[in-house]
Amino acid sequence: MTHIERRSTDILILGSGGAGLLAALHAKSANPELRVTVAVKGLLGKSGCTRMVQGGYNVALAAGDSAERHFMDTLDGGKWLNDQDLAWTLVTEAQTRIRELENRWGCFFDRNPDGTIHQKAFAGQTFDRTVHKGDLTGIEIINRLAEQVWARGIERLEEHRAIALIRSADGARISGVLLLDIRRGGFVFVQAKAVLLGTGGGPTMYKYHTPSGDKSCDGMAMALRAGLELRDMEMVQFHPTGVLAGPGTRMTGTIIEEGLRGAGGYLLDGSGQRFMHNYDPRGERATRDIVSRSMEREIQAGRVNAAGGLWLEMKHLGPEKVAKMFKGMVERCADMGFDLAGDRVPVVPTAHYMMGGVVFRADGSTALPGLFAAGEDTGGVHGANRLGGNGVANSTVFGGLAGDAMARFVPAEGELAPPDEAALDAAMGAALAPFGRRPQPLGPLRDALAALMWDKAGILRDAAGLAEARSGLDALEAELHAAGVADGMRGFNLSWADWLNLESLILISRAIVAAAEARQESRGAHWREDFPHTQDDAAGLHHTLVTLEEGQVRLSWREVAFTRLRPGQSLLTPQAAE
Amino acid sequence: MATFTLPKNSTIQGGKTFKAEPGATNVKAFKIYRWDPDDGAKPRTDTYELDLDKCGPMVLDALIKIKNEVDSTLTFRRSCREGICGSCSMNIDGLNTLACLKPIDEVKGDVRITPLPHLPVVKDLVPDLTQLYAQYRSVEPWLKAATPPPPDEERRQSKEERAKMDGMWECILCFCCSTACPSYWWNGDRFLGPAILLAAYRWISDSRDEATGERLDNLEDPFRLYRCHTIMNCTRTCPKGLNPAEAIGKIKQLMVERQG
Repeated sequence: MTHIERRSTDILILGSGGAGLLAALHAKSANPELRVTVAVKGLLGKSGCTRMVQGGYNVALAAGDSAERHFMDTLDGGKWLNDQDLAWTLVTEAQTRIRELENRWGCFFDRNPDGTIHQKAFAGQTFDRTVHKGDLTGIEIINRLAEQVWARGIERLEEHRAIALIRSADGARISGVLLLDIRRGGFVFVQAKAVLLGTGGGPTMYKYHTPSGDKSCDGMAMALRAGLELRDMEMVQFHPTGVLAGPGTRMTGTIIEEGLRGAGGYLLDGSGQRFMHNYDPRGERATRDIVSRSMEREIQAGRVNAAGGLWLEMKHLGPEKVAKMFKGMVERCADMGFDLAGDRVPVVPTAHYMMGGVVFRADGSTALPGLFAAGEDTGGVHGANRLGGNGVANSTVFGGLAGDAMARFVPAEGELAPPDEAALDAAMGAALAPFGRRPQPLGPLRDALAALMWDKAGILRDAAGLAEARSGLDALEAELHAAGVADGMRGFNLSWADWLNLESLILISRAIVAAAEARQESRGAHWREDFPHTQDDAAGLHHTLVTLEEGQVRLSWREVAFTRLRPGQSLLTPQAAE
Repeated sequence: MATFTLPKNSTIQGGKTFKAEPGATNVKAFKIYRWDPDDGAKPRTDTYELDLDKCGPMVLDALIKIKNEVDSTLTFRRSCREGICGSCSMNIDGLNTLACLKPIDEVKGDVRITPLPHLPVVKDLVPDLTQLYAQYRSVEPWLKAATPPPPDEERRQSKEERAKMDGMWECILCFCCSTACPSYWWNGDRFLGPAILLAAYRWISDSRDEATGERLDNLEDPFRLYRCHTIMNCTRTCPKGLNPAEAIGKIKQLMVERQG
């Protein structure tokens, strides 16, 4: 029998990005008596993607802006596929949260001459509402939140990766989470009265991607295996400006921020011509989905530079001004040998964010009692396309709300329920399975997955390509389940981590492909070449829902509840909408 | 009579060599520190020859290539791969830096890679940062202000006050600076070191913070602050181009000024 260490806590938080840290701080502040434990795959505050946020945080603060306007931008960007109550919670609660980040947690954002918080322009929005710290906003947010977590009696399980959500013996609630202590290579079962899924999404199954290397959709994969529904998984956002730094480097795909286009940056084809106005009257400031798609068309038409990508150019704004406004980005590009301020940088669209995810309520609760979710693991807030700047707002708003809700839930309804021991054994067995097999390099499998998803389920999709993706994923899964990892040293075994990452990524890729095959229209980030039109919303609009039944991905539909507005309606008076 | 012995695991043995594929023309050798707590053996240096024509430009690209294609047992930390998380800090070619931002072609000859100096090693290139985090916490790096903020508004701060944070808020806690500091090597248990003192000065110079006196009291100590002898390795090594030595100098200046 496999050895397992057992521990317990009141609240177990998976992930240390914006969602996880805000949840920990809110829960501990609401009730300091509660034992709160944060478990994270890397080091606290160092892994995950909130730290990597460049652009900033959308919130209606300035005179002339309003939550209503932010809400309408979010719905228009999301092509009305948003859960409207979640979107409303986002825009209103963001106004509270941004002041909380400043006044309570100590963030210090950039200022206007009158001393108020400065807000900058971002694409797809009718008002300049993006709060920021230079062009590396995430460092400020995560460092301040991590310090606050260290300041409190919050327990940390660093370099512990979650393997499985384990239900109680009676199946009625969550009992806890099976974790792998990466340093020791041994299992830990943490029993908890409430669990937060805040591991982040991260579409790293695509060849070009922005999220950090430790992101592998583990949270969504665990949720699927635990019987939860994922919604709108076909909605994968491609950010227009990933750096194209060559095939062998991890730097390729890393993002250079949207504010560059917001400030007036140009996208140029291989011959140096601007092209975005051929696709959208807003030009480079169109929403991310439109810009990425237009770029992909230019690339497929062969109008590319020598690196096979397009160009981003800023120098017409004045190299010195660019160097001052976007210091972090200029340095980032210089690290890779490119001069952003005075020359051109080769760019390519890059997989950035998953709008889809676990079905949840505004307080973070899910269909499984005791399990809460927040941040990129969840779906519904952004609909079919996320606005730049709504991502970190999402994770911090809903992380905080989930922390509050868990602090209420634990004394009222929480219990340390005994786990389903058979499920625990099965999950450990599955994680250990690769040690019983002949070791095999996993790099080629990962590369094959990245190419398959990029080519067949990427920016421009069709039925034939998606069918190829589906059968290709079946083959890759079979290959993974035949592949072994060298045994003998399990502590800090990166190849074992690769294997587990691939298992999560392939499962979630299957969910993406199933949902993309089902949605026979083009909407937001999801583009079907064989169904290029958006269906008439008056005929009813539906979420895709993916579940896992006996290892098979099942797809169903649920009608979008237009709880506040129907498509075409607005909260703004015609005058205010100008 | 006293006997002198080297601490356990302080001698490094020669290790295995993994030759480049036949026919490779642009070969570079990576000499990498290896130590596994579980096998009972002393640390060793393994040599990996890579064909740079088939490898990305950064040292992190080479480490990932070695792990994926040559030796799956090699262990290191990494996350963001763009110089934001500070996970992949290590000593490369004698200088502490981030593997993700270090171009291989900046290194002449073999690329020697060891963990950050003078920290306990968890495994291979992974250091134990426990003491550094404890010291970080000890300077209470969070906002202390008795005056409540205006209701439903942020504290009004000028652009100049915000600009005082520049050069400090960008710190990613990679600890390249602290582990490059000889004073920290000798007295790391009592001297706070440059990374932590930079964090301390960040809060001292935050115009919203009202605990400057308390913060200075906390640092007024022959070891916590004054083991800094302006050797400047910290500033030289910082992969983000920050200047911890200047921050430490400013703290010392404030100490003098407040004695009037």
